Amino acid sequence: MRTGPPLLELQELRKAFGGVHAVRDLSFTVEEGEILGMIGPNGSGKTTTFNLITGFFPPDAGRVVLAGEEITGRPPYDICRRGVCRTFQLAKPFPDLTVLRNVTMGSFVRARDPQEAEARAWTWLAYVGLEGKARVLAKSLTTIDQRRLEVARALATEPRLLLLDETMAGLTPHECQEAVALVEKIRREGRTMIVVEHVMRAILAVSDRIVVLDHGLKIADGKPEEVAADPHVIRAYLGEGYRRA
Amino acid sequence: MQWTTIAQAVMTGILMGSIYALVAIGLTLIFGVVRIVNFAQGEFLMVGMYISYWLWRLFGLDPYLSLLITMPAMFLFGVLVYGVFFRRVIGAPDLAQIFLTVGLSIVLMNLALFFFTADFRSIRTPYGDLTVNLGGVILSVPRLLAFAGALLFGLLLYLFLWGTNTGKALRAVAQDREVAMLLGINPERMYWLAVGLGGALAGGAGALLLPFFYVFPTVGVTFVLIAFVVVIFGTLGNIKGAFLAAFIVGVAESLGILFAGGDMGLIVVFVILVLVLAFKPSGLMGA
Amino acid sequence: MPHLLRPQVYVPAGALAVLVILPHLLPNVFYIHILIMMFLFAALGGAWNLLGGYGGQLSLGNAAFFGVGAYASTLLVNFYNLSPWIGMLLGAMVAMLLSVLVGAICFRLRGAYFAIATIGLAEVLRLAAHHFRDLTYGAQGITVPFKGSAPLYFQFASKIPYYYIALLFMLGVILLTRRLERSRLGNYLVAIGQNQEAAEALGINSAWAKQQANFLMALITAFGGTFYAQYIYFIDPPSAFGLGLSIQIALVAIVGGVATVMGPVLGAVIMESLIQFTQIAFAGTSYGLELIVYGALLVVMILLRPTGLIGWVSQGYGAMLRNLPGGGLVEGVER
Repeated sequence: MRTGPPLLELQELRKAFGGVHAVRDLSFTVEEGEILGMIGPNGSGKTTTFNLITGFFPPDAGRVVLAGEEITGRPPYDICRRGVCRTFQLAKPFPDLTVLRNVTMGSFVRARDPQEAEARAWTWLAYVGLEGKARVLAKSLTTIDQRRLEVARALATEPRLLLLDETMAGLTPHECQEAVALVEKIRREGRTMIVVEHVMRAILAVSDRIVVLDHGLKIADGKPEEVAADPHVIRAYLGEGYRRA
Repeated sequence: MQWTTIAQAVMTGILMGSIYALVAIGLTLIFGVVRIVNFAQGEFLMVGMYISYWLWRLFGLDPYLSLLITMPAMFLFGVLVYGVFFRRVIGAPDLAQIFLTVGLSIVLMNLALFFFTADFRSIRTPYGDLTVNLGGVILSVPRLLAFAGALLFGLLLYLFLWGTNTGKALRAVAQDREVAMLLGINPERMYWLAVGLGGALAGGAGALLLPFFYVFPTVGVTFVLIAFVVVIFGTLGNIKGAFLAAFIVGVAESLGILFAGGDMGLIVVFVILVLVLAFKPSGLMGA
Repeated sequence: MPHLLRPQVYVPAGALAVLVILPHLLPNVFYIHILIMMFLFAALGGAWNLLGGYGGQLSLGNAAFFGVGAYASTLLVNFYNLSPWIGMLLGAMVAMLLSVLVGAICFRLRGAYFAIATIGLAEVLRLAAHHFRDLTYGAQGITVPFKGSAPLYFQFASKIPYYYIALLFMLGVILLTRRLERSRLGNYLVAIGQNQEAAEALGINSAWAKQQANFLMALITAFGGTFYAQYIYFIDPPSAFGLGLSIQIALVAIVGGVATVMGPVLGAVIMESLIQFTQIAFAGTSYGLELIVYGALLVVMILLRPTGLIGWVSQGYGAMLRNLPGGGLVEGVER
């Protein structure tokens, strides 16, 4: 891993909805070029963390720092322009637009004009393997293709930090392998990522480091092998009888 | 200005507020359960009002008695409107929902115009001109009766929604459709019920208005605009909020008319809307 | 193949030429009036379309901007003898300022609640125009002082100059919409209309994009208001700020086809024809029947074809172009 200031730093983030503490005193860092996996049971605060990082709502307390600059509470479009982009757990394609146009919307951020945006979009489509479906309407896509589209669109914004929210949920084992391959491909370019997943095998294999959340608190932070062996994690999430496959 | 004049305006506002509450509760119920904003809610009021009017005109039936006919009729009317129209735009984009109900509103208003002409009509009742004097404040009896009626319906609705299983099912669907389905509740039946209730409440409001308010084809328009403000102010989908907000809006309107003249009433109501949107868009009962 | 000989070019060019000559050929001034109304509403609907069709924010209060334009120019010419051409620009500026207010307060609302807020705004202005009768003559309305032929005062003795102005107005809006569609802003609006959250996550500043569309919409609509005042010579609160007008403006775009360049034009043609037809067919029977037809049309359209009628028309048009000389390479409409 590189040394130097971390690309992303969360400092004691706190967020509550009504009486529910979604995230409590959450702190961790993400180094440039690494893949950080984030796991935890449903409702442990993973998506809320993404929302806090990307500005969908501000934290009640704490800071989000990107490459030394504070981005806490900035609006989502600003954070995207600074280089952080996310996919959504429940995919949000632009349903009545073609796949190509969907991705083009993402590349506008870095392109000088609509023509350049479209040209760049083609390369991203090819990158994820969707170029054959460029003229298909997004609402007609299969689940795996919708996920590919989400990723392509996010990549089109050329983020320094890519946040993938349960990209593999509901995929067949074969499709999961394809998804893992794509994540590996992105990682080989040196792009930093935070990946949220439930598919344990995939995330343990792909991550350099893992953060485990439970009821909004961080209960583990370390290398995959360490985390998998951590008794707190096993109890909270993996279950007593888990063995590394 | 004497305090009695102000008290008068406040009381009138409270009385009118109860009517706004009926219309608004219907609106918020339909929104909460079916997720459709019913721009034709004012026309439900208008239709109910005309039904009661013609029952009086043709059969001499007292408006308060006519409620026994008007409200069930308007319930059925709501059910019909749901079945023929609303049902087809559940889950459709906003544009479709808005303009469907706007279209219905236009059709209903102009059907009334066509059949009944634009004439402002009113009825005569033996108690129509009676007033009571409460410590210097003079209140018209029909308005008091309307208030009492509205409170009664509000109470009945409350008992229904919080006390019966069907009512609770209705609230469950409004809160979380999926969970309600898991509990074995059929949301579709609740939609029929919600729109029927919305029709009955608005129609009832119309009948209660008749003794002291003119009926004419566009009477619903002002009421629905005020009802929308009440619904937003009271938090979307929240019945208790709508009830409370209705009285505040009624009083504000009344004071606006008192201090600045006839048109200012509605302007004050919209100023409330702007203030709510600017400072607390989630409404009185919002998080 | 030389550019001019392709049907995509010569058919519209021919149509335009016909429109230019038409007023001199029509037997009756009444037909010119109908065309003027069609052009006006095509422009107004096209303006609505910018924010409503492309951006997905459905305004039912555009009469607010229309009325501001109409009252501004009319009050200024009545009290200060200021040419309505200038009054039009001033009115448009006021309308744009108003649109900032609308955006700041209302853009956080979606769907029907935005619509309600805009209705409220237009109603407030209507009531204000009604109430402050020292300024606006209240319910009795204001007449534009008749000067006969006074081009510098935006008045013409015959309908024909009004026709050309309205035509230019409509063409301007059409060209603006076309340019917008291909621009960054236009794309942003489409994204926002499809899914605002996703658009924001991709770096699109949705509030600013919508506000820009809002500015354009307010400006164009206010221009329309001034034109109307100078053409009809009379305005009053309901005709300038009325809810019916706002609904009609939105309908033009919806019936024709939202988020398309020619949708509002088609919509204006249909709506105006419908209004005229029902007025003639039901002449003598009570008022209200044509509006029943109108409302019923809206209901039917929403249930059967919410994307508007332009889709059918453009397919037919495309087919026609392909069959004309030089038409081999006509493409369909792509989204």
